[in-house]
Amino acid sequence: MSRLHPYTLLAIAGALPAFAWILPAPSGGTWTAAVALVLTLTPGESPGLTGTGASSGWRARLIVLRTAVVTAAPFWLFLLLLHDVPTTIAIGLRITTMVASFVWLVAALAPARLVEAMVASGWSASVAYLLAATLSAVPMLKARAQRIVEAQRCRGLSPRGGVAARMRALRALALPLVLSALHEVDERALALETRGLVPGIRRTPLAPPPDSAVERAARWVLLVACLFALVRRFTVPGVS
Amino acid sequence: MRSLLLDRASFWYPATESPTLRDVSLDVAQGEVVALVGALGAGASTLLLLAADLAPRVTGGRLAGSVARRDRSGIVLPTPWTQVSGMAFTVWDEIAFGPANLAWPAHEIARQVDRALEQLQLAPLASRDPATLSGGELQRVIIAAILAMDPGLVLFDEPAAELDADGAGILWRLIRLLAREGKAVLLATSALDALPDVADRVVWLEGGAIRAVGTPDLLADVATCDAGLGTSIATVWRAAGLPAPYPLTVAQAVRGWR
Amino acid sequence: MIPALRLDDVSFSYGSVPALERVSFSVAPGERVALLGRNGAGKSTLVRLVAGLQRPDEGTLWVGDWDTRDCVPEQLAWRVGSVFQHADQQLFARTVRDDVSFGPRSLGVGEREVERRTAHALEDLDLTAHAGHHPYDLPPALRKLAALAGALALEPALLVLDEPTIGLDRALRARVTRALLDRSAGSVALLVITHDLTFAAESLERGLVLDRGSLVCDESLAGLLGDATRLEPLGLAPPPLAALSAALDLPGRPVREAEVARELARVARGRLAP
Repeated sequence: MSRLHPYTLLAIAGALPAFAWILPAPSGGTWTAAVALVLTLTPGESPGLTGTGASSGWRARLIVLRTAVVTAAPFWLFLLLLHDVPTTIAIGLRITTMVASFVWLVAALAPARLVEAMVASGWSASVAYLLAATLSAVPMLKARAQRIVEAQRCRGLSPRGGVAARMRALRALALPLVLSALHEVDERALALETRGLVPGIRRTPLAPPPDSAVERAARWVLLVACLFALVRRFTVPGVS
Repeated sequence: MRSLLLDRASFWYPATESPTLRDVSLDVAQGEVVALVGALGAGASTLLLLAADLAPRVTGGRLAGSVARRDRSGIVLPTPWTQVSGMAFTVWDEIAFGPANLAWPAHEIARQVDRALEQLQLAPLASRDPATLSGGELQRVIIAAILAMDPGLVLFDEPAAELDADGAGILWRLIRLLAREGKAVLLATSALDALPDVADRVVWLEGGAIRAVGTPDLLADVATCDAGLGTSIATVWRAAGLPAPYPLTVAQAVRGWR
Repeated sequence: MIPALRLDDVSFSYGSVPALERVSFSVAPGERVALLGRNGAGKSTLVRLVAGLQRPDEGTLWVGDWDTRDCVPEQLAWRVGSVFQHADQQLFARTVRDDVSFGPRSLGVGEREVERRTAHALEDLDLTAHAGHHPYDLPPALRKLAALAGALALEPALLVLDEPTIGLDRALRARVTRALLDRSAGSVALLVITHDLTFAAESLERGLVLDRGSLVCDESLAGLLGDATRLEPLGLAPPPLAALSAALDLPGRPVREAEVARELARVARGRLAP
């Protein structure tokens, strides 16, 4: 998985949710969600969700799967409150596909490789970083959240207790996370400027990821298949 | 040859009534090391941002007076973890980040990165993930990352804050080396005891304005000692009630004692 | 008397990377200990073990009579006040006062006690004037002090601080020194990681030096700081006043500013006398 070109990874992460929404529910949603969840078990080279990338093997992959499931779960709950069972399943599977695809992408695609790929194709560096920053935001925030949890626990914050206690605990964890992250944005912007990250530059590729004809073809096939399914959905009557 | 000139520069941050810098005139020559000292909030960081062309261009705010720069500048900010690009998973890549953004050819990038690694004695850490480094190691990586861009004007804001004694020694020797290579260096630091060996000139900032300029001997003046900006030796000499002129360093104190 | 902190042969590794090897020492109530060593020597790891964020692989850590293996960090907060690096990221309340009182309130002490502890902590660090401000309205240096006040407000028996003076100027460092000396006079034990040996000389009395995970020195700080030949291989340099003391051979080899000044004055007077 990690040897695939970043664009291929992006294509897969984009195609799965697209198929989930285009194809008829629930069968379409089922198999895309299943594929997405299975993907989360494949090894990725990005530190992504699992931290410092030092761990590989089953434990790390299970963490990615668990993250996907845990992130998607609240949506299912929400849907159950609003809709009947068949609609819940239909929409839930689609959302699960989206969530699992994104979670997998964060774990599998190293932001640095995406930047290299985009720069090698001629994109300007700042656009590439914008996209890559979305991917690298997750591990950065995760590391910060961990530090904040530790600091608050050392001040006596207990993760146990009733609803009111947990809400207070959430406030003591979420607020500092957001405040400190936002507060640093200014300084980060200054730092990136001084490292030459200005709009309109053509960055030198240091290690452009290898691409193969097979992968390029596969990406086209995915795109065409999506378009085909889309057209079919809107022109063939009786398909929900 | 002059690398940086501030001419009666005043600066207001956005939505602020009072200026952070008032009427500051300062020049830094190539091959010179100028140190800014002052209490927290005296304006040293802002002056460095002006010199780096980050204020008011990126920070916003208003500038009166002028700032003229001859060379490309690079600035090392105080907190290393906010300066990490977040896009590199090895120290080598992190240092190469800047040069790559300058669109240099790959062999030139490699040359500059390897040189910076050597100057900051970071070779053993070259393939480590920056996220796993300690604050002091990371600060050295950031310094290397800025130097690898080969700026003519190098700006440091509290570069020794996170460094241990070994790291600080490497830094101060490196700053002298940069000056010998013809770069202009402007640094803000509270490590006053290191300045006699590092700085050619010392600028005392107070309330956004320049209060005094001189050689490092300035740090042994009565006024600076009273303001808490004297070197440790000068300060204790004054506290002992001994007569001026106060020694700047241990070596000077020993010589005068005999 | 039970020590405030005791380590018995503690070892710890991050995966396969050893961080601490068979470290043993104890800290008595009111004792002020500096934890010194190069970057990466294991100091921050040790402090995390004391706070209960990690458990030792081997050996035992005692905080008072509690074995940290049986405790979680929020429990240890009753006895240990820790301030790590990046501590100012923990601030979140609307005012500095609210944030400082977060600790004692989480412990569940009564509201009047919370107020008392908060006021005491703010006074100790001269932050009372800023108590009503939003933490992010303060400059970074004062935010750091606010985080320290948060730990003081727990009124723990042991304070564990990781680099409390980075980013502080002389005046603020003096505030921290005063607050720590005050607490220690009230029998609070201190374990402070610092590479600012001048600050250590002013505030602390005993030096523990870690080198590659092992404890290589455990002795009086004054004696250690004046000895350049021993400090150098450990990646440390004598602070200027200690170096001066040694170079001029001042009686008693003082390392604190007030004492060095006094001895200097005395010796100078003695020389002038016929």
